Amino acid sequence: MNMKTTLPPELPSFFHELVGTNEATNTPVSSEVSRRGFLKLSGLVGGGLVLGGFATVTPHKAFAAEAAAAADGVATLSPFVQIKPDGRITIYSKNPECGQGIKTGLPLIIAEELDCAWTDVDVVTADIDAAKYGANQFAGGSLSTPQNWMPMRQAGATARAMILAAAAKQLKLPVAELTTGDTKVMHAASNRSWSYGEFAELAATMPVPAANTLTLKDPSQFKLLGRRHTGVDNLGIVTGKPLFGADVRMDGMVYATFTKSPQIAGKAVSFNEAHIKSLPGIVDAFIVEPFLDARFFSANSGTHFGGVAIVAENTWAAIKAKRELEVQWDTSTAETATWDDLVARATAGANQDGDPIMVNVGPPGPNAQRAPADRGDAAAALQGAAKVIDAFYEYPYISHAQLEPETATALFKDGKIEVWAPAQIPQGGEAGAAVVAGVEATNSTLHMTRIGGGFGRKLANDFVFEVSAIAKRMEGRPVKLQWTREDDMTHDFYRPGGFHAFKGGLDASGKLVAFQDHFFSHTGNGQGPMTSGDLAPNVFPMDRVENLKLTQTLFQNGIPTGPMRAPGSNALAFPFQSFMHELAVASGKDHVQFMLDTLGDENPAETPQGMHRGRAANVIRGAAELAGWGKAMPQGRALGLSFYFCHSGYVAQVADVEVRANKEVKVHKVYAVADFGFIHNLAAAENQLEGGILDGLSQLFNAKITFTNGVIQQQNFHQYPLIRMTQAPALETKFLQPPEFSPSGAGEPSMPPLLAAVTNAIFNATGERIRKMPLSELGYRLV
Amino acid sequence: MATLQINGQTMDIGTVDPSTPLLWVLRDTLGLVGTKYGCGIAQCGACTVHMNGAPVRSCQIPVGNLTNENITTVEGLAAADGTLNKVQQAWIAEDVAQCGYCQAGQIMAATALLANNPTPNDADIDAAMSGNLCRCATYTRIRRAIKVASGQQPATAFYNAAAEGERV
Repeated sequence: MNMKTTLPPELPSFFHELVGTNEATNTPVSSEVSRRGFLKLSGLVGGGLVLGGFATVTPHKAFAAEAAAAADGVATLSPFVQIKPDGRITIYSKNPECGQGIKTGLPLIIAEELDCAWTDVDVVTADIDAAKYGANQFAGGSLSTPQNWMPMRQAGATARAMILAAAAKQLKLPVAELTTGDTKVMHAASNRSWSYGEFAELAATMPVPAANTLTLKDPSQFKLLGRRHTGVDNLGIVTGKPLFGADVRMDGMVYATFTKSPQIAGKAVSFNEAHIKSLPGIVDAFIVEPFLDARFFSANSGTHFGGVAIVAENTWAAIKAKRELEVQWDTSTAETATWDDLVARATAGANQDGDPIMVNVGPPGPNAQRAPADRGDAAAALQGAAKVIDAFYEYPYISHAQLEPETATALFKDGKIEVWAPAQIPQGGEAGAAVVAGVEATNSTLHMTRIGGGFGRKLANDFVFEVSAIAKRMEGRPVKLQWTREDDMTHDFYRPGGFHAFKGGLDASGKLVAFQDHFFSHTGNGQGPMTSGDLAPNVFPMDRVENLKLTQTLFQNGIPTGPMRAPGSNALAFPFQSFMHELAVASGKDHVQFMLDTLGDENPAETPQGMHRGRAANVIRGAAELAGWGKAMPQGRALGLSFYFCHSGYVAQVADVEVRANKEVKVHKVYAVADFGFIHNLAAAENQLEGGILDGLSQLFNAKITFTNGVIQQQNFHQYPLIRMTQAPALETKFLQPPEFSPSGAGEPSMPPLLAAVTNAIFNATGERIRKMPLSELGYRLV
Repeated sequence: MATLQINGQTMDIGTVDPSTPLLWVLRDTLGLVGTKYGCGIAQCGACTVHMNGAPVRSCQIPVGNLTNENITTVEGLAAADGTLNKVQQAWIAEDVAQCGYCQAGQIMAATALLANNPTPNDADIDAAMSGNLCRCATYTRIRRAIKVASGQQPATAFYNAAAEGERV
């Protein structure tokens, strides 16, 4: 399998910064020197495993847990694997779990190569520790699986090799005569077998084998991978165990709310302090000053808005007092944008060009050469085209609305800050908490909890930095910060809304020969677009058309925006794949055929970061076949197709949609075919694909955040409805797993195609073209 | 000192503001954190518990209004020996959860449904479950798990260590 993973170019720049390079840290080889150097540095004795590329950060934590464990006879073979004398195995899961199944998935990969029985494994969430686990302990970009696939296999194979070496030494048998399976070492010649536990203590003292000496399984030998596995936390979930950030409890803990300016980026000047402090159960109330410019997404700087903290003896007292809070806000530098104004300005500007969209020419970096993304001569090609189609598309700001509102618990004591948080970038949270608390990075510790829904919201650590600031003020007492749903909905890092004025040109044969887009987005600093509000020319079909012109207009608008499940793609998939269908209809060709014709040559793409057109074509053909594309449908009911490539994943979806009287829409079924390479836990991949489809449906029909003079207008789920059980269609999913491609992530690419699959089906059923989201604003209702 | 009847036990809750929603007494006072806060306005169902067997939104019930009602939370569903109820078992077997935050509320709603209607059809499931939001949108699996728990559908094939070599 392909061992090299390249970061998809559509990821926001902070992902690239996070990983430190354009190449993912999936580097399997480390030199003996650096490995031993690290072992010495960290003071680890008794064997240890550090994976290549992981030992690049100065360690600041002792291996205290392992040292203590060793005293109880637990053998530590590596930061990932411990074995008890009875053969019970503990595997540490290094990345945050936010519902994507990674806490199960990464240990499964280790267990496969370790050749142990899955029933012998206990999974434990790892510490945040770059020295042990590398700089990529985060949940985002659908990167947890591709970045860790090979390192986790190596971690398992390394531990297995150390066990085999120990067994050979202890049994005085040649290692070549020993095999493994089901947590046992086997000697076929004498028909004997022993539990791994019998060799664990000696194995922990064995030399760590070089990565290039490891034998990895051929995928045909996989026993665990490729099947369905239920999540390791499921027993805890169904019995209500404290797993989530919201569930953290500590002795002497106090409970806080934090109230920020309704007009985004306003500053608290004063509040009715005496009254608030007189209320029952209130411990303290104070203004927290803003830190840096919190309109801009940041995971690690400590940035947060200012506001009023209320600290109470319990959550309810803090919420009740918050309702009586009266704050004087200084809004002189607050945001003033109004969504309806932006709609009017974009609509008025649709027929003009904007400024050229620039892309790097040659290597990236601060001195990178920039040039317009244009290709060929779109103006001339449009002039000479047999048909020109133009269309104006609109989509709104939307909120993550993860079900666990932002929450974190912190203790500032003895010059140290300690935080418990459901953070998608816990390492960034730990770094920023130190900045806010004014302590050295080595005096900041963040413990990652299970995340009650992320979707990208908890990539931002603003709530971690807020609780750190409050905890510093409440020195010596643990503080739990609980955002209300209203806090969450009015202070998100939203998926930015946008507008696209498209022109597409078809030649006499119906081939797409010219493509033009004037993109309307937002800027907070007057220079670049806000996070997730940018456009690059790598979106299909722009990557395939000979003549391309790409311009943009950036509105001055610093309403905070950030990454949301499939950032960029979650917005672009609807206009681009709807417009592709408009072009297909104009070309007179069948939609599937037009998509395949536009993809063209199905040989692999020229660059490793580009879309593999053969894989794209296969999922499109696959979805069409699964849905019975072309079959007769009843009146008012039709199939619609859409495809999207992002995060290295290929997904095509076909929606079976009926439009009834009064624009009632029944989505009967959605068919999805995906290619994420090899699937290592089928249950998790199915869950992501199914959830992505329904997430898309929820966004398509109802999701819209608006703002008036910088004030968000939606407060809670009654104004921001999510899809419910009765609206959920039947789903049929299928994974193509071409063996030559290693796994990519499933969380993000699952969602984007749904949007246009449904709107294209509505067009096929009724002839009405939908160019605006959400559909509720056009009178449609999902039933 | 006030008491509540929770999961078959009489529990002291000390002196609490009677306007406190049951949700926060469960979570903060009693440490029963399986019941979740999601919206505070009875829109999401994450705080669902049983009151005398019926599913209710604990964020809407001031604790001062309670007298002798029998409250059951997700922590009280399993038998004393730890045996899970059929809904809990099916939730694990079908790997329903993604993030899992809403699932206690979903399980409480589904358990109440099956107590009244041992073999619900799709419309029954829609009616009983549409008050509970799942942002991860695990609805297709919730439906399947209810069908499995009620014996109306076979369980999905998962990895089975005992049947090694069997691919699903």
